[in-house]
This record gives sequence, structure tokens and C-alpha cells, in this order.
Amino acid sequence: MQGRRGSPLTLYRAARVSELSGVHWIRRSDENNTEAQLIHRKKNDEIIHDHNNDGIDRRGFLKCMAWVGTGTLCVIQGGVLKSYALSRLPGMTAKEAMGEVSFVQISDSHMGFNKPANPDVAATLKVAVDKINALPTAPEFMLHTGDISHLSKPEEFDTVDQILKAAKPKNVFFVPGEHDVLNDDGKQYLERYGKGTKGSGWYSFDKKGVHFIGLVNVMNLKAGGLGTLGHGQLEWLEDDVKHLKSSTPIVVFAHIPLWSVYPEWGWGTDDSAQALAYLKKFGSVTVLNGHIHQTLQKVEGKVTFHTAASTAFPQPQPGKADSPGPMKVPADQLRSVLGITDVNYVQGQQALAVVDSTLA
Amino acid sequence: MSIAGLAAILMLGMAGLGIGQKSSIAVAQDKASTVEVKIDNFSFGPASLTVAVGTTVTWTNRDDIPHTVVSTDDPKTFKSKVLDTDEKFSYTFSKAGTYPYFCSIHPKMTGKVIVQ
Repeated sequence: MQGRRGSPLTLYRAARVSELSGVHWIRRSDENNTEAQLIHRKKNDEIIHDHNNDGIDRRGFLKCMAWVGTGTLCVIQGGVLKSYALSRLPGMTAKEAMGEVSFVQISDSHMGFNKPANPDVAATLKVAVDKINALPTAPEFMLHTGDISHLSKPEEFDTVDQILKAAKPKNVFFVPGEHDVLNDDGKQYLERYGKGTKGSGWYSFDKKGVHFIGLVNVMNLKAGGLGTLGHGQLEWLEDDVKHLKSSTPIVVFAHIPLWSVYPEWGWGTDDSAQALAYLKKFGSVTVLNGHIHQTLQKVEGKVTFHTAASTAFPQPQPGKADSPGPMKVPADQLRSVLGITDVNYVQGQQALAVVDSTLA
Repeated sequence: MSIAGLAAILMLGMAGLGIGQKSSIAVAQDKASTVEVKIDNFSFGPASLTVAVGTTVTWTNRDDIPHTVVSTDDPKTFKSKVLDTDEKFSYTFSKAGTYPYFCSIHPKMTGKVIVQ
């Protein structure tokens, strides 16, 4: 979980992780002093601990994770994990900055929502598109992890499509959220976004040797239950990855988290363990989800779980409110709790670099 | 047993005492013919409701997020469309029984109506 940039919460978290990974904590007064940061980082950025012999410096990776949310890009190149402040990126070469596959995840645009938590979700989605267009190297494509619309209304989907047309990455890959399949069991969603998909909209595709899998876990939800993938989709998944080499990097994207974030609020998927079992053989699995309207990450063995912020409104941290509804923040802070996620992968390396940035 | 049957037995029993039970039970029955359930903070209030056969239950969404009211049986006894803030859904229970239901968008939200 990330505190807002510059808030005391961010300082506390960074300090805690640094205690665990034995890394020095950079003073907040050095935030704008990229020279000081560079000197510090040069001393601390290279892989020195490779206990699992898989090329991943987990302590280094954890250190990078501590900076996620404060605008730091972590890239793995040539076996070395390097971190760069986003402010330094314009000075980097495209190859340095990009890695080999570069894409952006956005989520939970909730077009049609108009309550106090954000009376203008179209405006904040446009800010997200501007943010994407301002990245030093244009990502090749985008993933939208669902809740595209708020009430599954045709005009809501139309508005999102219209706004996304202004983004430099022209290809957008969608998976539905529960707000996208209301009233008609997902029929409209499939008509709009279901081309080439199976069942309720699941599919896979490849980009430069990375295998992407879009899963649907918002259909046929059972009373008292969590998200669910269902038997048919799980069978398809098993078959889809069966013949892939274990060195193939995998990216799975689905709306509801595929790990148990907070079951009391429905933040989990009943049968995701089965899905993850089919992916156990792979050396690098990145799971990208939405639904909870905040960034959270967890590394478990070779699997990195990551949830994105919403472009519409934030929700409370697990258990910190009566219910997981839209969370109101002062208007001038709204953009700092909304965001996009930039992801880079360099061929030959295991972990993907996942960087969140806010709309502020 | 329906309330009308219960009322009949009570009245027969009370007739000798000359106590006017009839009107108060009749009034009670009128009041019971429509009952409200409030949806707020991702929960149904009251979560468990007991009503008489013939009662209409009206759910009103006071939350700032849409919800649905869907019975868990198959085929479904009742299923609302999506209710945005301040929208309502009503169902009249003509048969006795227990009717568990949930919000199909947020399935952790559950409730039940017991019809006697």
C-alpha cells in the first residue's frame, strides 16, 4: 500500500522497507536533488544478492518497490536492476527507458459516475491520457482492467472509447469489471470488446515473447462469494499455457484481484489458486488487477501481484472504513489519489518493472 | 399460519372479555402491507426481515454506488435492475417461505426475507 506522495505515510513506509532490505533511506529534502539521488543509487543499484540464482536481486527489487508510487522507474537491463527517478527520464535514451515491451495499465474509469467523490470522471480520464502521452517513450499498447463504465450504459462506453482515441497507444486490450456487465449478463460488453475472445470475454495474445492473458472474474458471482473464474475459463487457461516454455514471461490481467486482498469486502477471487497453479512452472508471472481503486503490490515467489489506482475515484484501504465505497478527498487532492501504471519488460530478464504514477 | 387466521383465533378467544382486539390487529396488518429496506454502506438494512404473506417490500438505494436485489434461488423469484442512488425496487411476496437474496454486483452483500 502506498501513501500519497510527500505525506508522512510515504516516509514511514519507505523507512520500514529500507530497514527490511538494509538500504539507506533517501531524505525527502533530496527528492528534487537528482544528483544526490544518482550518487546514492549508483552505490546501491546493482544486483549483489542472487540467492535463488535466478538473476533477481530480491532485496534490490524490494528496494525498488519502496519507491513505487513516488515516481521511480525500475528497469532490469543486462541482469542489473536499475532505478531512475521519473524526473530524470527525459535525459535517458529511449532504449534505456523503455526496455523491450512497454505498456500502460489504466483501470476503473467508471464513466457515468457523478457523485461528490468525483463529479467529473471524464476530466480525470483525460488527465490520465495526457499523462500517458507525456511518457518519454510512448507505450506500445494499453490494458484496461475493467469498470470501464459505471452503469453499463452505451453512452458511457462510447465516451471512454472517445477519450482513449486521444491516447498515443492505439491498441487497448480490455477485461470487464462488474459495472460493465449489468442488466444483460455481459452481452453489450462482448459486442463491444469481445472480438476474438472466448466465453465471457477471456483471451490471450503475445507481444515480443511476453504472453498476455486477459481473464474475466466478474460473471456469475455467487451470494456471499468473491470474484470467480469458473470451470470453463480455468480449463481454457490450463490448455492455453500448457505448451509454453517456462521461460516465457506471463502477464495476467483481470478486474478483481487474483489474490486475497480483503475478502470481507469481496476483494479476492474464489478459484484463483487453481489459475495460479497452472502458471507455477513459469519463471516470471505478473498479475495486474483493478477493482480496489488503490495501488497494492505483493511479490510471492516468481509471481508479482499488482493493483492499479482508478482514474475516477479512490476507495479506502482494507478495513479502514465501514465499506469499500467511493472515498471523498479534498478536491485539490483528488488527482494525487488517481493514477496510471507504466510497465516495462526487457527480454531475457525475469521481473517486469511496474511503476505507478498519480495524475497530480 | 396467516395473520388473518391467527387474528380469527385471538378474536374468538377475546370475545368473552369484550376487548377490542380486532381493530388493532387490522391496523397492524395495514401497516405491514409495505415494508422498507434501506440499502446503504454496502449492506441491506434490515438484513433479515420477517413479513406477512401479501406484503410488498421496497428496497431503496441510499448508497453512492449502484446495487441490485437478486434472490439466490434458481429460477430467480425476484431480480431487480441496477439501482443507482435513490432508485427503488419493490416485490410483493405472495407465498410463504424464506427468500435469501444478494447484490449481484457486490455478492458479499446478503439479506433475507422470511414470509409467514
